[in-house]
Amino acid sequence: MKNCRPSKVMTAHEAVSRYVHDGDSVITGNYTEGLPFSLLFEIIRQRKKGLTYYSQSGSADVEFMVAGDCVDKLCTAFLHKWGGRTAGGMVERYQRAGKLQVEDYSNFTYNARLAAGANGYSFMPVLPSIMDSDVFKIRDYMGENKFGVVRCPFTGREIPVVPAANPDVCLLHVQRADKHGNAQHWGGLGSTVHACLASKTIIVSCEELVDFDVIKSSPHHTIVPGFRVSAVIEEPYGCHPSELPGYRNPDMTMLRFIDNSFSSDEGLRSMFDEWVYGLPDRASYIKHYIDVFGVESLNRYRARSYYSAPADYGVAFESGWDTYGQALLLGVDMAGLEQLIAEKGDLVDVN
Amino acid sequence: MLTKQVTKEELLIVTAARQIKNGDVVALGIGMPILAGAVAKKTHAPEAVLLMESGIVDFEPCVLPVNVADATCTRGYGYAVDLFGVFTTIAYAGYLDKAFLGVGQIDKYGNLNTSFLGTPPAAQRITAAGGAPEFYAYAKETILTMKGKGFVEKLPYMTSPGYLGGGDEREKSGRYTPGSGPSILITPKGIFKFHPETREMYLDALFPGVGVDEVRADIPWDLKIADPLGSFPVPQDEEIVFLRRLSPVSSFSNTTGKELAMAHIRKQMEEKAAGR
Repeated sequence: MKNCRPSKVMTAHEAVSRYVHDGDSVITGNYTEGLPFSLLFEIIRQRKKGLTYYSQSGSADVEFMVAGDCVDKLCTAFLHKWGGRTAGGMVERYQRAGKLQVEDYSNFTYNARLAAGANGYSFMPVLPSIMDSDVFKIRDYMGENKFGVVRCPFTGREIPVVPAANPDVCLLHVQRADKHGNAQHWGGLGSTVHACLASKTIIVSCEELVDFDVIKSSPHHTIVPGFRVSAVIEEPYGCHPSELPGYRNPDMTMLRFIDNSFSSDEGLRSMFDEWVYGLPDRASYIKHYIDVFGVESLNRYRARSYYSAPADYGVAFESGWDTYGQALLLGVDMAGLEQLIAEKGDLVDVN
Repeated sequence: MLTKQVTKEELLIVTAARQIKNGDVVALGIGMPILAGAVAKKTHAPEAVLLMESGIVDFEPCVLPVNVADATCTRGYGYAVDLFGVFTTIAYAGYLDKAFLGVGQIDKYGNLNTSFLGTPPAAQRITAAGGAPEFYAYAKETILTMKGKGFVEKLPYMTSPGYLGGGDEREKSGRYTPGSGPSILITPKGIFKFHPETREMYLDALFPGVGVDEVRADIPWDLKIADPLGSFPVPQDEEIVFLRRLSPVSSFSNTTGKELAMAHIRKQMEEKAAGR
């Protein structure tokens, strides 16, 4: 029999070279936490070009992708002001220089585009107040297609709508996954599930690779099913310096260090050369962190456990027979069942 | 009782915290709102339901988070919902009592700009819309905080509509939760409120050491002043002690806080390099 549940485990390098192509639209699945930095650094190192990048939270992820000259168009709902109030980060510098087109949505309307995409609708209604906002009126590369307005057939009221978004590739970092790609995540949900399910290809990196037994005993944590996933990378610290419940807090030492490097172009370039281009993979990144800041700094942000109460998925019966060997609904043993079949069954001659 | 010395930043946070009533369902953003929510919940509003737009609902901040889905907020919380559900099933459905929003620029009718200081794409960026437009539209009441001097006659970009052109324009449009809108704006200089009929912003109270002229200097329209002026809340030890325990760096201005933190990191790197 053909193996229909093959292992999808590979390295970040393999996953990015196989599934991310120049000109693709790429989305960061995680919403502000657990950002998939290992995969993003790999995209930058492989010098992918002409991407349309979706980043709702607009944190260091988008700054790195833009500074790496990977992105032509950005769809976002928020941009952290790296580098201070006036300087701004790379997104702002590129946008003002005309090297980057940025389409601004609100968090809700950005999410609504993905909700439409994930559910297979071509558009999604959004909340009416947005029509008074310049988010609705001022448009960049989406132009006429940024928002539309329809009339409700039942109330007659005007309803603003957004078009579906279906990115080519979603990058997702989670706590754990199995080799087939069943990905489990807990913590702030944001728009993560919609981002994943709207996308055509999903690449998952995880802190730990686990057996399917772990997955099936906690299915409410599975946010993406294996059959939707193309690649799985076991990548401890794959989201560093961003945080992940149960693993670590945001690494404020590294985040402050990154923020400080945005104060000048030179600072940013040298940080980039040192931390992105200068290190081939995540293991060497973490080793470098330890060399620079010390293992004590890494460990300071490590989470102390706080376990979820186990949810009991137990059931009374595990087959059509109860624990006393009696057939459910019939109240007989196997010999009794065969006797009933002989007496009452609609028997056929198959010989 | 107050025996501690209090900084300007701490007074602002406590003023914001006092806006929360026990039992309120409150949406918080990063920065001052989180600090205000945490102080309120630890002191006078222990049954408030604090939430963030990432869908972390009924949480209790124990460390200052850096983003709205921060793992530091997910150690024990009551309800995990997604962002879409926060805006539809909680805010739009009418269950959100208060929202806190940070302001880049504001006009006299409480319309907000958090996007661009001019016309995009060439203009300098503030941040962007985030959750502001929909929280502002559908929370029953919004508390605004502004660190800078962003009062303007006309916004170059209206991210989040407030009372629009004033009067009953917001109510009449039918696009907002009835009775919603900003109730108060807190800045480092004082407390502002909105006239119940005209919806025009007026000065309600001054913070210590600030005169009316200093407030007027930042405001391009003829600002109306409450007569008599109201008062600011005097922080209590309980609030100050808890706040410092939650976020020691938040007693300082952003710039000073960043400088102190960076100095600490440099020292750490030097010690590591020296092999200590």
